[in-house]
Amino acid sequence: MNTDNTKKYQSRLSIFYAILGLLLVILYSGLFFRQLIESESHAAKEKIQNQRRILTPGPRGYLMDREGRVLVANKSKFSAVVFLSENQVQKAFSDSYRGMVRDYRERGEKINSYSELRILSRASVLQSYLKGVNELIGRQEEVDATAITRHLNVNPLLPYPLIDNLAPEEFAILLESLPVESPVQVYVSNMRHYPYDNAATHALGYVGYSPLEVQSDMPGSELRTFATKGTYGRNGIEKRFDEQLQGKTGSEIWVVDPSGYQVESVQREYPRKGRDIELSIDIDLQLAGEAGFDLYGDKGALIAIDIDRMEVLAMLSRPDYNLNQTTPFISNKVFKEISDNQAWENKALRGLYPPGSPFKLVTAIAGLKAGKIDDHTIFECDGSHRVGGRNFPCMGRHGEIDLRTAIEKSCNEYFYRVGLETGVDNLSREAIYLRLNEPTNIDLPNETRGMLTPSRDWKKTRFGEPWYLGDTVNMSIGQGALIVTPLQMALMVASVAKNQVYSHPSILKQSPEQLARRPAPKPLGLPENLHKAIIDGMDRAVSPTGTARSAIIKGVNIGGKTGTAQINKKDGNLELAWFVGFAPIEDPKIAVVALVEGQELNVSFGGGQYAAPMARYVLEAYFDKRPEYVNTQKVTTTAALP
Amino acid sequence: MNAGASYVRELQNFWAARLKSKSELYEAGKDLAHLNSAYQLEVLENQSLKQEVDRLEALLGLPARPEYKYEIARVVTRDFNSWWQHFEIRKGSRHGIPVGAPVVFSGGVVGRIRQVHEYTSAVELLSNSHLRMAVVIEGDNRPMSFRGAGFKIFRSPIGLAEYIPNDISVSDPSNPPRIVTSGMGGIFPAGLHIGYLQRLRPGASGMFQDGDVRLEERLSNLTEVAVLIAIEEGME
Repeated sequence: MNTDNTKKYQSRLSIFYAILGLLLVILYSGLFFRQLIESESHAAKEKIQNQRRILTPGPRGYLMDREGRVLVANKSKFSAVVFLSENQVQKAFSDSYRGMVRDYRERGEKINSYSELRILSRASVLQSYLKGVNELIGRQEEVDATAITRHLNVNPLLPYPLIDNLAPEEFAILLESLPVESPVQVYVSNMRHYPYDNAATHALGYVGYSPLEVQSDMPGSELRTFATKGTYGRNGIEKRFDEQLQGKTGSEIWVVDPSGYQVESVQREYPRKGRDIELSIDIDLQLAGEAGFDLYGDKGALIAIDIDRMEVLAMLSRPDYNLNQTTPFISNKVFKEISDNQAWENKALRGLYPPGSPFKLVTAIAGLKAGKIDDHTIFECDGSHRVGGRNFPCMGRHGEIDLRTAIEKSCNEYFYRVGLETGVDNLSREAIYLRLNEPTNIDLPNETRGMLTPSRDWKKTRFGEPWYLGDTVNMSIGQGALIVTPLQMALMVASVAKNQVYSHPSILKQSPEQLARRPAPKPLGLPENLHKAIIDGMDRAVSPTGTARSAIIKGVNIGGKTGTAQINKKDGNLELAWFVGFAPIEDPKIAVVALVEGQELNVSFGGGQYAAPMARYVLEAYFDKRPEYVNTQKVTTTAALP
Repeated sequence: MNAGASYVRELQNFWAARLKSKSELYEAGKDLAHLNSAYQLEVLENQSLKQEVDRLEALLGLPARPEYKYEIARVVTRDFNSWWQHFEIRKGSRHGIPVGAPVVFSGGVVGRIRQVHEYTSAVELLSNSHLRMAVVIEGDNRPMSFRGAGFKIFRSPIGLAEYIPNDISVSDPSNPPRIVTSGMGGIFPAGLHIGYLQRLRPGASGMFQDGDVRLEERLSNLTEVAVLIAIEEGME
């Protein structure tokens, strides 16, 4: 009986064992599948869940002048911060929160918002830490509950800043007074620093802050990433060479707890500073130009160029702003001030102005090259010239004068006559040959393309009108529709000085290899005797009898041309003071252009009075450093600078 | 006549000595040996006292700091294990020693008073990782951070300097940059010797460098130190 029963149950047991075996096979298969086949996928998921990546921007490279002096650097910014992931901070948060809830309940009050209470409790804890810091360094700062919430939502792994921008003494006090194990510590970050404040504002440019761009070759790309903001060039060299200046971002991978706070650092890559860039700017010349502008003008631009190397030695644009006000960020107040002053624009390469009398040099070249005049051609100036029923005035009655004297005295009538003899087609062609109709292609961003060299075709297309002789008369003295930038004029005067046409100036100091690779300037095409006539005129202009006498420097022969251009405004004319010049005459090394905008309508604003002395500051600074070009035997009467 | 008297005296002494027993002579020899030992001991004591006088003189060679009072104290116990690098000195609250006061010796900073008892005080050594201070490189005014980093076996105690400007280098090992107290933190007076900067490496921010600081070897075997007590504190 028992044996039968056993047999009966044994068959059932066999089935049970088979099912059990099958289940075990399924179980082990699942285990095998999960542990071996899917292990990598699980490990990856675990990593993503338990690890976080923190990115720290690498400091930007420095900008230095041509003699290695730092124009733009990084300044460390020390802050007092709280490391929120510290256990004692977390405990303090929860204790404070529980305490507040308990107090509400004991008072019998209803809690409207638990999340608001949590924010308040955190703010109260951080305020207590801040109080300790305040006591140590004698400040009276307060925490911002909204900022705390935003920080915890966006960047919980990063320390919360209690006080930014600690002074060195405050940094030292906190360092010695805060215990090493305290959650409150001193933290360092960096910001851009401009040792010369306003100097070369527009050329150097400024940086802005925006989320850090994550480089694809960095480890932990699959992890949730937190990053402090990076800096990006917004203008000037900072923008143009942003890629080179950017530092290499550092990364640190942390194992975090379920709340997302740091537990252990498992991988670290240090940030690295970006590349330093040596500029062609000479800060001595730049500061000299700034000093000149402080005395003689409020608005305008000044440029100095090393002619042989086609490098910008100084570039300033007014109004400007203090670059240190743009860092670590531009406040609304500063932004508004700069905008109200219209100080964002770099007038050196974006300002469009009629060139005025300095354009007479182009007119002279066009006339000489077209064979319409020669170096001895004489015209009579009787104070005005009538064309098409309209009188075109001259600033004086110069009588019979030749080219040299016409340049020296800036005689309008002489150049009206030259322009009319030469014709608009030759004038336009020559201006275009001198590249006055195109950007210089300097290695700075935002150079305008709005310059204009008018021609018959242009006028026909633009206005549907024929070109009149009056247009030619206007153009011959740099007025009418003709507009250029100060930078173009700097290249034009360099071209006149060397009888070669230059382009592509650089703001970077060129290496010998780069200089060797530069395309050779094309010839201007003036025979030597004719070229000399123009240079003689420019030499005489910077003599005691010339219009640019306030640019005279003892011991150096300077060639120059002043100008007073006019802009038609609604209620009158605004005058512009120009000076274009170069030196030394015997072997031109430096070209300088100064442009000053008049402040009041219908008020005379002469180039000899305002722009030439400004240029003199720069030329003096240049030749102070190069005594080999100064002829100490040469006796020159100089005009006194204030 | 005199020569005859002298001869008689010598003869008397000879016979007197001949008549003394050997045991008496042995005792006299022992007495002399004891006396000799006593004299040798006194010579050693004198040498020890001279060394102490030298040490104290060296301590007095500390620069004059009118705003501080020097309280010279003897080191009684040392604990240089890797976690708690400190020692005890035989001066305490009875002697006006406050918590946090700087402790120095002729070779610069020793550390800082961590705990004060009535007759003794615990000093946190410069090599203690819990001791941190604002320092500068001699001749430079940019503050940096210094922290102790313990002792390396058979080598000098070391520290860690952070926030070292990037233009600082240790290219000349024979003339390494010297680290001194900044005086800006309000605890340590300026210009006290800490050590010499050795290896440099990039810092975490990329803005600065970190570096090892070689501290004074004498830190591990000091016997006397001076506690700097601010005059106001001492008066209180």
